[in-house]
Amino acid sequence: MTAAIALEHVSLSFGAGPVLDDLSLEVEPGELLALLGPSGSGKTSVLRLVLGFLAPATGAVRLNGETVTLDGRIIRPPEERGVGMVFQDLALWPHLTVAGNLEFGLASRGLPRSDRSGRIRDMLSRVGLEARARRYPGELSGGERQRVAIARALVLEPRAVLLDEPLSNLDAPLRRELMVLLFQLLKERRVPGLYVTHDIREGASLGDRIAVLESGRIVQEGSLDRLRTAPATAFVRGVMEDLP
Amino acid sequence: MLVAAGTVLVLAALLPLLSLVTELSATGRAALAVLRGPRPWELFLRSTGLSALVTAGALVVGVPLGVLIARSDLPGRRMLWLLHLFPLFLPPFVLALGWFHLFGRTGLLGTEATARTLFGGAGVFWVLWLAFTPVCTSLVSLSLLGLDASLEEAARLVGTPARVASRILAPAASPAIALSAIVVFALTISELAVPMFLRVDVFPAAVFARLGGIDYAPGEAFALALPLVPLSLLLLFFERRFVGPRSFAVAGLRGMSRDPLPLGPWRPVATLAAWSLGLVSLAPLLVLLVRATRGGGLQELPRWVGRAPWTSLLSGAVAATVIATLGLVLGHAAARRSRGATALDALSMLAFVTPAPILGVGLIAVWNRSWTQAVYASLTILVVGYVARYTVVGVRAVSSVVLQSPLHFEESAAVAGARFSRRLARVVLPLNLRGVIGGWLLAFVFCLRDLETAVLFYPAGREPLTVRLFTLEANGPPSVVAALAVAQVTLTGAVLALGVLALRRSAR
Repeated sequence: MTAAIALEHVSLSFGAGPVLDDLSLEVEPGELLALLGPSGSGKTSVLRLVLGFLAPATGAVRLNGETVTLDGRIIRPPEERGVGMVFQDLALWPHLTVAGNLEFGLASRGLPRSDRSGRIRDMLSRVGLEARARRYPGELSGGERQRVAIARALVLEPRAVLLDEPLSNLDAPLRRELMVLLFQLLKERRVPGLYVTHDIREGASLGDRIAVLESGRIVQEGSLDRLRTAPATAFVRGVMEDLP
Repeated sequence: MLVAAGTVLVLAALLPLLSLVTELSATGRAALAVLRGPRPWELFLRSTGLSALVTAGALVVGVPLGVLIARSDLPGRRMLWLLHLFPLFLPPFVLALGWFHLFGRTGLLGTEATARTLFGGAGVFWVLWLAFTPVCTSLVSLSLLGLDASLEEAARLVGTPARVASRILAPAASPAIALSAIVVFALTISELAVPMFLRVDVFPAAVFARLGGIDYAPGEAFALALPLVPLSLLLLFFERRFVGPRSFAVAGLRGMSRDPLPLGPWRPVATLAAWSLGLVSLAPLLVLLVRATRGGGLQELPRWVGRAPWTSLLSGAVAATVIATLGLVLGHAAARRSRGATALDALSMLAFVTPAPILGVGLIAVWNRSWTQAVYASLTILVVGYVARYTVVGVRAVSSVVLQSPLHFEESAAVAGARFSRRLARVVLPLNLRGVIGGWLLAFVFCLRDLETAVLFYPAGREPLTVRLFTLEANGPPSVVAALAVAQVTLTGAVLALGVLALRRSAR
């Protein structure tokens, strides 16, 4: 089966040291892969490679089998990749309403106005924000903003969604509530996802599989049980000990 | 889009600078002979010496005043800033005229001694120092207002206010200080009207005289512009080395919400000194108003002013709009370090720091041809000249706000499928609207105050107000000339007031 997202022998460096070192990674269709790693391990760089904001010195990035980046050359720019993204700081456009934030991408992709409003209404109702459509991001609570960011990524019906620690700034109850919502949304739409986190609990709750990134390399991947029973590095052993 | 904006900038700014080379080869050795005599070099040294003095004076006063305005508990510091800043937006010639009506032989407080002092090097220094010190004050203030509050608060936990100001704030503002020094030097060495009016021979006047005066010899003007070329390259080098992308936060107006540094026992002295300077800056404008009113100049004004205000407004507004558009594209590209943006940013800075006579002479060389008369003989040449000289204002205004705007806003738009033009129009522009409006306003005001560039190539019968004022001064009734100066002040004040209103609306 063709992987939804594939990074093949990717190497990337900034200045002195390598950020990613011959990294290979695959996310299968419908799968949610949690990418776990300490700060500075290169997690965000992986996302930026998939999005097309960075090009690796060597290696390839493929989406559903299509080569979108190859050996330092971005073949498909970000706007043509059809990938959704939930940023860590959400990056909701403050000058657009909630509906405006969702509508922007649909209009950019040339959807007729009538189709756009229907899709926006459906998505907002799914995340429980139908009544907030005309509000601006600054007028929403933290949890509501998070829902808008998730809705904005999914309303485009992307071929994959990337999530960069989107729940890291929330308190525990709200984080749990949103994790459930996110999981349901991705599974009911069968959208493959790459979820970047440094929190093993989040990774374990959401991910079908976990990949551990350390110093620019995937040091272990597999199920939570496999990581728990045979940790490959001291870092993996350390995070497993944090789990109840 | 970057290519299109870059092409416009190259046509407006680079072509005139390059054309000097071809013109010189055409005019030949005869023209270059003008540089063999000692006189041009005396004038060159005088101009660079005067510029260095004015720059040093502006730094000595402007930097501490900038710190006081931005971060101290000086009473009425916002109002003081406005008073002190306003003369910067006027042609220095207007200020010189005001000082003449105050301290000239027939002035309100004039005597032989005051007139002798005013008409000489000291007078030129005084006028230009007062005119350009606000550049230092404002760039330092804006830089400090944009400073991360935590840096200052961390220092205040362990240091006295004076130590915080000298060891934290001043070093943090060092790029702004360096930029202000470069800008003041460039503005002073380009200044033509004030030295001419106060009877001091300077280098730009020698170039000007050969383009329109009794010494008409355009070939020699090209040759005379040559010594200024290495000077402008040197200024560009300093700008790249000490300022670069850490440029002035023109629209980084974050307000004065932090607790100010207490001046303690120095507060009364600092207040007296700062407010005295602010009020002295305004004195020549009040004198001009008195002179225009008493002599009946204001009543005579409609007969003398002609179309000049409309020419100023129209050419300035069109140029500012072009500059703001270029600024949006080039400033965004510079902030995001797009390929080629650094070179274009450097070109716009080079055109600004290049002494006005070089740019003016270059523009004449490029556009004064039989097949380009549609441009050269119309207002378009003023727009081209303003765009060439002041595009850097728009570029830096936009880049300073884009630098403060998270990249994620644009990246999320790209992920959502928006192409560059759509991202620029729907995300970058609305999110950085204050910077664009601020850049437009600054560019407009700089165009309105421009005399030194426009005087070299304004189309016949379509002179802007500054040129009208400059040319009438020699033989017009003094009260009418004063009234024209008042008109220039009023026009600038009105544009600034409307611009500030627009900025406030855009902040909502």
